[in-house]
Amino acid sequence: MYGGDEVSAIVIDVGSYSCKAGYAGDDTPKAVFPSVVGSIEQTGETDEAKPDKEADTASDSKNGTKPMDVDKAKTKRKLYVGQELEFRRDHMKVISPMKDGTVTDWDIVDNIWNHAFRQRLLINPEEHPMLIAEPSTNTGQQREKAAELMFEKYKVPALFLAKNAVLTSFASGRATSLVVDSGGGSSVVAAVHDGYSVATSPIGGEFLTDCMMKSLESKGVAIRPRYSFKKKEISPGEYTVVDLDLPNTTESYKLYCMRAIASDIKESVCRVPDTAFDEVAYANVPTTSYELPDGQTIEVGADRFKIPDILFNPSLSQTIPGVDGFADSMSVRGLPRMVIDSVNRCDVDIRKELLSSILLSGGSSSILQLKERLEKEVLEESSGNTRVKVLASGNSVERRFSVWIGGSILASLGSFQQMWFSKAEYEEHGVSYIQRKCP
Amino acid sequence: MDAKDILGIPKGVFPSVQEKKPRAPKEPQRKPDGVSREVYALTGGVGMPPLMPTIEASHLKRRPAVEKEKVAWQWLPFTSSARADSLQLYHWVRVVNGAPPTGDYHFAKYNKKADVLKYNDEEYEKYLTDPAWSREETDQLFELCERFDLRFVVIADRFPTDRSVEDLKSRYYSVTRALLIARARSFDEVAGNPLVKETFNAAHETERKRALSALLSQTKQQERKDAEILAEAKRIMESRAASKHTEEAGTLVSFDNATLAADGVSPLSNAHPSSTATLPAAVVNNSIPASLRMLRVYLRTQALDQMVQEASASAGLRVIKRVDEFLHRLGVNLKPKVPTKAVCVEHLELRNEILTLLNLQKQVQHKELEVSANRENSFTEAPSTPKRANRDVDRPFVPDTVGFGGERAGKRDHKRKIALWINLFGSFPASTFTKLLSLVEAVLGLCLYSASALRRLSLRIHVGR
Repeated sequence: MYGGDEVSAIVIDVGSYSCKAGYAGDDTPKAVFPSVVGSIEQTGETDEAKPDKEADTASDSKNGTKPMDVDKAKTKRKLYVGQELEFRRDHMKVISPMKDGTVTDWDIVDNIWNHAFRQRLLINPEEHPMLIAEPSTNTGQQREKAAELMFEKYKVPALFLAKNAVLTSFASGRATSLVVDSGGGSSVVAAVHDGYSVATSPIGGEFLTDCMMKSLESKGVAIRPRYSFKKKEISPGEYTVVDLDLPNTTESYKLYCMRAIASDIKESVCRVPDTAFDEVAYANVPTTSYELPDGQTIEVGADRFKIPDILFNPSLSQTIPGVDGFADSMSVRGLPRMVIDSVNRCDVDIRKELLSSILLSGGSSSILQLKERLEKEVLEESSGNTRVKVLASGNSVERRFSVWIGGSILASLGSFQQMWFSKAEYEEHGVSYIQRKCP
Repeated sequence: MDAKDILGIPKGVFPSVQEKKPRAPKEPQRKPDGVSREVYALTGGVGMPPLMPTIEASHLKRRPAVEKEKVAWQWLPFTSSARADSLQLYHWVRVVNGAPPTGDYHFAKYNKKADVLKYNDEEYEKYLTDPAWSREETDQLFELCERFDLRFVVIADRFPTDRSVEDLKSRYYSVTRALLIARARSFDEVAGNPLVKETFNAAHETERKRALSALLSQTKQQERKDAEILAEAKRIMESRAASKHTEEAGTLVSFDNATLAADGVSPLSNAHPSSTATLPAAVVNNSIPASLRMLRVYLRTQALDQMVQEASASAGLRVIKRVDEFLHRLGVNLKPKVPTKAVCVEHLELRNEILTLLNLQKQVQHKELEVSANRENSFTEAPSTPKRANRDVDRPFVPDTVGFGGERAGKRDHKRKIALWINLFGSFPASTFTKLLSLVEAVLGLCLYSASALRRLSLRIHVGR
């Protein structure tokens, strides 16, 4: 590689659904784990680092690591990150550090980083420059907090904060493009011009999963989370399902597990319809069957098309019973609308270029037919003079990790090595210098 | 960084160069003809390829060539001159004989920045104040220009107050221009600098962007309407052009190439009517041929050639030659030396006039001959019986009711008709003319004319050709 020069930088991308970390220069991140943590509050007691009650037998068995301790002012809580979440523990709540795409709880992020460095990647952060991917709509304050945390706690030698949209753009080899990132928590449309992000809108995959769940529930299908049942063998080859009663399980954990199943259903069964979803038209569409972990088989019919169409038409979510609408449903627009608005906010000269290179990334972009439908809708809304082209890498792994891959490419370039924000600069100019260094 | 570097293989000459040499001497050692290959091998045939490749022991024991230099790869720190601080990052370095490479970081040379001028306070006071721009804003603008290397779209996005891209650009360019002029000792030094030569026209830019955004934001309906209107306009122009042609048949008409507004839609420019086909052959029009009009850009000599060809297509080779002779006699070049529009127009006019002149001359000749032939025929009409007999045999459909005098009149009529026909079709090429001649003979019958008159007729026809 003539443009490359490896300095063994680490690229870390904490998304709203999953966290990706790995070495720069690699094709895919080494460590991928959910970016939620389980926390058990232990009020008052001094910590005994004794592992929690593992009262069930239905879960996986590997757990060699100790839970992390976090000192808080009044209550102590143990946080479990990564694989530790696979266990069901009593009173364990599942919390996410992000809300609407921005970080709200830095402790949790700290834990996640720590877990990634020490348990997953097995590195010493003091030896490696760090490239962190941040949301395209990050505020200056957030960046300063991130920089502070990195330099003070982990003592990294050099740091750089790059916007998600810019990294996705680099991953596809373009300096100017319109990035539609539909990840777990939100869908963001951001324009990138010449390597700098120019303009940036919140329906994400998680929401779709919720809709799926509610929709199934309303049809009378009870999804049993994996931990809550056990298969007992009655006779060779035949199993019956026995429900386990575990009263101390928190609601959030239950929800978390059910979501996992529902999202699997969503991933395997859902397709974006070719035209806007219409209740009447799709009433008689043939159903697909799906087998739940406890052996039940369910038939999914019109929901297959209805759920992904929420991306294009958010008001459809209102028709599903039990789903609470958005706080201000007027401002939530469908994807094509968001794309057009974003383009119109940019300077006239670059609009044409933006429309002809729309990039899809993020986990939810792997829904079948999303690319064709989006292209069609944007073409309709735009004028006939412009060429609209939606690009998505064929490989679904690449789509999910395109932000991370862009970071890996960027951090291993020879001409990038002059752009790091080093510890010396941090000490000399202070943390606000990062605004200048990382545009 | 090259694969050979990593593996430590010496970067030698291409092996194919060396392989060519041994191939030449191999040929003469082939087996002799007449003896089969196996038989020859039995005799220990010299120069045959061995049945089994031999492995020479000497090859095996020999070690691979020892490298003259020792190459190792080490994880060493480095600094880059492109950085302001002295951050030391580590990377793999090819170390030769224990000495790491010296010199700056390989990629430092790619650190190019745009040249943004800096001004100090007094310069600002003296030259650069502007009512619409405060000092802080100008400072911010210049700082952003420095950071983003004059990418104005990004700068406009990051600028704290809301200013349009044209605004920022015009301020930047005017400030830089003023600074350059102020700092230069004489105006000539910087006159060559593009910043000084051309000023940034903010109004034009704004207008252009407005037009572009209007174009881009047209809805489908508007576009359809626009297309319809343009098609209508084209149709109207076509009909107008056609009517113009029919009015002015026989005189020269010249068209200007219609200049079209470049709206990004160009259906109007193509297919401007070529309405020449329907005109009678003797008249030439000057409309630019449709094929050329399609091109929009063409050489006038080409156009002229085509027009001349068109004009004389109906005239026949002989006529063309006569026209050329005429021009030569007049002292006019066959092709104008300086083919401007006016000159070409005049040239074509001249050619057409010559054509008409020749045509008229021909007609006059015909008439004269006719008259003289009539006079002659009236003398030689007497021995008409043998012809009459022939007439009956050869020609069934000439009406017999015509009396002698009437016959003469009829003959004269016929002759006149022939003369007229000949005149009218006088511009046909030779082959059809002979056909016509035979037709004429068949119609009139050999017996209608005396042989001499017939001779005269053919003579007349000859002359007319």
